[in-house]
Amino acid sequence: MRTCPGTNSAVRSHLSDFKKHRAARIDHYVVEVNKLIIRLEKLTAFDRTNTESAKIRAIEKSVVPWVNDQDVPFCPDCGNKFSIRNRRHHCRLCGSIMCKKCMELISLPLANKLTSASKESLSTHTSPSQSPNSVHGSRRGSISSMSSVSSVLDEKDDDRIRCCTHCKDTLLKREQQIDEKEHTPDIVKLYEKLRLCMEKVDQKAPEYIRMAASLNAGETTYSLEHASDLRVEVQKVYELIDALSKKILTLGLNQDPPPHPSNLRLQRMIRYSATLFVQEKLLGLMSLPTKEQFEELKKKRKEEMERKRAVERQAALESQRRLEERQSGLASRAANGEVASLRRGPAPLRKAEGWLPLSGGQGQSEDSDPLLQQIHNITSFIRQAKAAGRMDEVRTLQENLRQLQDEYDQQQTEKAIELSRRQAEEEDLQREQLQMLRERELEREREQFRVASLHTRTRSLDFREIGPFQLEPSREPRTHLAYALDLGSSPVPSSTAPKTPSLSSTQPTRVWSGPPAVGQERLPQSSMPQQHEGPSLNPFDEEDLSSPMEEATTGPPAAGVSLDPSARILKEYNPFEEEDEEEEAVAGNPFIQPDSPAPNPFSEEDEHPQQRLSSPLVPGNPFEEPTCINPFEMDSDSGPEAEEPIEEELLLQQIDNIKAYIFDAKQCGRLDEVEVLTENLRELKHTLAKQKGGTD
Amino acid sequence: MNVVFAVKQYISKMIEDSGPGMKVLLMDKETTGIVSMVYTQSEILQKEVYLFERIDSQNREIMKHLKAICFLRPTKENVDYIIQELRRPKYTIYFIYFSNVISKSDVKSLAEADEQEVVAEVQEFYGDYIAVNPHLFSLNILGCCQGRNWDPAQLSRTTQGLTALLLSLKKCPMIRYQLSSEAAKRLAECVKQVITKEYELFEFRRTEVPPLLLILDRCDDAITPLLNQWTYQAMVHELLGINNNRIDLSRVPGISKDLREVVLSAENDEFYANNMYLNFAEIGSNIKNLMEDFQKKKPKEQQKLESIADMKAFVENYPQFKKMSGTVSKHVTVVGELSRLVSERNLLEVSEVEQELACQNDHSSALQNIKRLLQNPKVTEFDAARLVMLYALHYERHSSNSLPGLMMDLRNKGVSEKYRKLVSAVVEYGGKRVRGSDLFSPKDAVAITKQFLKGLKGVENVYTQHQPFLHETLDHLIKGRLKENLYPYLGPSTLRDRPQDIIVFVIGGATYEEALTVYNLNRTTPGVRIVLGGTTVHNTKRDRVLLCCPDWSQTPGLKQTSQLGLPNCWDYWHEPPHPAKRWGFTVLARMVLIS
Repeated sequence: MRTCPGTNSAVRSHLSDFKKHRAARIDHYVVEVNKLIIRLEKLTAFDRTNTESAKIRAIEKSVVPWVNDQDVPFCPDCGNKFSIRNRRHHCRLCGSIMCKKCMELISLPLANKLTSASKESLSTHTSPSQSPNSVHGSRRGSISSMSSVSSVLDEKDDDRIRCCTHCKDTLLKREQQIDEKEHTPDIVKLYEKLRLCMEKVDQKAPEYIRMAASLNAGETTYSLEHASDLRVEVQKVYELIDALSKKILTLGLNQDPPPHPSNLRLQRMIRYSATLFVQEKLLGLMSLPTKEQFEELKKKRKEEMERKRAVERQAALESQRRLEERQSGLASRAANGEVASLRRGPAPLRKAEGWLPLSGGQGQSEDSDPLLQQIHNITSFIRQAKAAGRMDEVRTLQENLRQLQDEYDQQQTEKAIELSRRQAEEEDLQREQLQMLRERELEREREQFRVASLHTRTRSLDFREIGPFQLEPSREPRTHLAYALDLGSSPVPSSTAPKTPSLSSTQPTRVWSGPPAVGQERLPQSSMPQQHEGPSLNPFDEEDLSSPMEEATTGPPAAGVSLDPSARILKEYNPFEEEDEEEEAVAGNPFIQPDSPAPNPFSEEDEHPQQRLSSPLVPGNPFEEPTCINPFEMDSDSGPEAEEPIEEELLLQQIDNIKAYIFDAKQCGRLDEVEVLTENLRELKHTLAKQKGGTD
Repeated sequence: MNVVFAVKQYISKMIEDSGPGMKVLLMDKETTGIVSMVYTQSEILQKEVYLFERIDSQNREIMKHLKAICFLRPTKENVDYIIQELRRPKYTIYFIYFSNVISKSDVKSLAEADEQEVVAEVQEFYGDYIAVNPHLFSLNILGCCQGRNWDPAQLSRTTQGLTALLLSLKKCPMIRYQLSSEAAKRLAECVKQVITKEYELFEFRRTEVPPLLLILDRCDDAITPLLNQWTYQAMVHELLGINNNRIDLSRVPGISKDLREVVLSAENDEFYANNMYLNFAEIGSNIKNLMEDFQKKKPKEQQKLESIADMKAFVENYPQFKKMSGTVSKHVTVVGELSRLVSERNLLEVSEVEQELACQNDHSSALQNIKRLLQNPKVTEFDAARLVMLYALHYERHSSNSLPGLMMDLRNKGVSEKYRKLVSAVVEYGGKRVRGSDLFSPKDAVAITKQFLKGLKGVENVYTQHQPFLHETLDHLIKGRLKENLYPYLGPSTLRDRPQDIIVFVIGGATYEEALTVYNLNRTTPGVRIVLGGTTVHNTKRDRVLLCCPDWSQTPGLKQTSQLGLPNCWDYWHEPPHPAKRWGFTVLARMVLIS
């Protein structure tokens, strides 16, 4: 037996059988109805009111032959005998006879409705035999005031047509059909709208859910804005569904008489199912992450993916690396060299050999070469993939890249830590030497003091303030602390970026305001008079510079200098405040930032004293001018011989500071800082030793 | 071989065929039950079926904007109803489906009534049985026999139901029947007759091994329906009564209004689906887990309103939460009621003795236990009578049969005459004289050793040691060892291979214990699929054995339950509880919309 598609069970259709039987029946019925309607049309096709009844009768008789009066002695419907009183009436549609009681009437409007409707349906159905006979108002010409002479006995039907019950029944049925065809109840209209909305939801919701799921997983396939737009759209449709179903629910409630209970039940059920629909689908709509959440999610996902892939890719990566090393070894090495030279570029006279990638890292660069190389390769791959528009590849590559970079960074820090350890060991050896140096340094310091005090009072005041060297060391190292802490907690400080950078230097409370943010805010200031920047920029020159500048430039920018004294006073209370200043100063230095592509702040820091003091060639160096103004420093700048002692002195000072700070840090138990600082110290000592070796 | 699926497919197909738009489902009394077993109200609402009407209801309004799907049994009355309907159609278009074979003349008279051309479809969809479980069906016929012979009307209904099942599963089976039962033979012949007559319908693609229809008679195993059951579904049916997946809890003391009547449907209730075949103790622990799970997920009241986010979370969890809370309270109530009844009626003890009576042959200890229980005032008169019935069946021919003594005890206990009469009725119905095979004593060497071993090892669970006789029958059938002299084939051809698809039909009704057996056999025997059916699904009260008793219908307390088999009310006619009102839904929903 046949099986319906979709069911696995037997079925049997009787439809063709049914249709065959029905067709036979329907043909008969349809012919019957059509016949009546054609006759009706003929009967109404002339102006009944203005036609004589005799003429009307003639027409009527021509439409359908009337049954002979004699043949029907009794009313076929009610069985009453016809007599003078009970007169015979003819159905104008079929010609049959009935009594008056059984007679029905068809009003002209009804007749018109029936005929016009059938004309429409006929014309649409194109049945040629019946369509031509339908000219309306063919007799319209005979509009006249000819009063109709109605016969006494036969009442004239001006506006209606007599017929038998059977014909009327048939016609009424037909009318009902026409009505139903044309009439669509309100509920249907509303319901259709409702279904449209539901379909829309069915279309959009899965799309949205896909998006939301992807976004919630931290993927970047879809954009957050698009998804939230879609969400709003879908929710609007839900609101519409809610409103429509509510409208359906209340449909006809205020009518009189109230609608049939089953109608009400239908309305309630529709409302109920709409509510179910909304519940089920709306609540299935997961919420979207906010932007911040999304960023976090993205990060999380990346990390996860990294972790996952790290294992998978390890093997592949290594083999790939080896291959690529061979292939692009030359090119990348060249690139590497370029980078190195670029880095060295701005400071060609620098003598310090840091441990950092630039100089000290020279040896390391070979170790980390494969990693860097890989990073290079991947960036170029990403570029290519982007050009090719393969976004998924880009994504995986970017993940790869990130992973590599992380690894690289980690390697760097590890190396740094290791180095610092070694340096700490060396420290002891150099202590003696340092002691000597320190004494010399003190001497020089005193000398400097004398010179400075000769120059200006303010300066001397400054020095008096700072005077004892114990104070200085406790201040300077803080810069390193700041860096050290920055290294550890870089994302934290940026959140507390100062609002007023110029004033910030005087506010002791904002200790940890982060360097990047401050730097950004400071940057515009770098275009301000350089005198202004001078003091805040260079921590070492500050004491020296600020005072002469106050003299030299009679109207110094308010914030930087005028507040300086108070700032200094505060500094004494709160050593941390200075770190702030230092950070800001360093970060705000427009030269340091571009000069130091490496994220490690130490390189910047290392460059300060040397670059600034020993490299007047650096274009636009803000210290150039101040140093020129400062007679003391002019001196030092003028000759290389003079340069060295100062440098040495400063170095020693720095070393002292750092030592003090290490002590401080040790006491506070901040071991990581200690490590970092000892590195610094070692480096400085190294520089010092070199210089000594060179000069002495 | 999934009867629920088969019927559901039919219904889905009907709805699907009618296309989009508002629909009304026109049914008769029986098809209402058939549909309600496989579709829930909300499920069917989603398919735009909003109204459910009975074809025989007189005050249906003309609603020309609705499509009508008629799912009717092809009875004379229904055909008349639909002819009237078509003469004055109330709906815009009609899709007519008959649940069984309809005669050509009926089709013709329908066609002639359809003057307005409102009928779009006339089909036979053979969903003419109640699908209880995927492998269990029922015809909801009570008292199908008069004495030992068929009531002709019921025979024809049973034949229709069985052939519809075969058609819906697309099986043209070989037929075996229980020789000892005249009714089984008659039914087998009737089914065969239909298959021959409608050979066109039964032309399915031949499978390698033809399916098998085995027709049994309840009288061969009158014991099984007399035992108390301990698996969830069987127990609920035994103690509370399942009627088209519905349980009437209105007599539970202190029941809340919502739980007066609950639906247990494996289709929609995961917990029930997972636990319906587990025994009572396991259900207890599972219910506990369900509770704990629920408590975890249940939002704390004060927490709930603390913030909009909390409320949103609540709303987002709402469907699961609501479903879960419904499930929890339902099952807790049902299980609670079960355990209350168990302790109230001392059922554990009763069941132990029942099992002993059914499974062991120790006459004196059995007798002792019965006598002891008869003294216990907690044991209801019905349970007491049942024990005696079991005794009477088992030790009918025992040399030291002391049935008269027990009957005296019953009378002394105050058990009413009606119940006492049942004992003799049972013996007459399912006694040794009637049975084709021996229920109690092992027949061959293997069985003897088995029983011996069982005695040695002891039984795992005293309450579930009874294996329905059907298990053995089916086991033999699968292994090809079912004796042909007891279960002959109808017609000359016999099955050589191991049967694969087996349809078992029990005249007089199947039991949930047997359903469990079939379920387990299906699970454990690869390549064999069994469907069990009966004229009804029994519990003891409804046992047709008892219905044979002329006084039965006059037993006041039991009359009610005996008529439960007829689906005289269906949830579809009830108004759905308005979810918005219940949960303050609209407010919450709006909040979600705004945010």
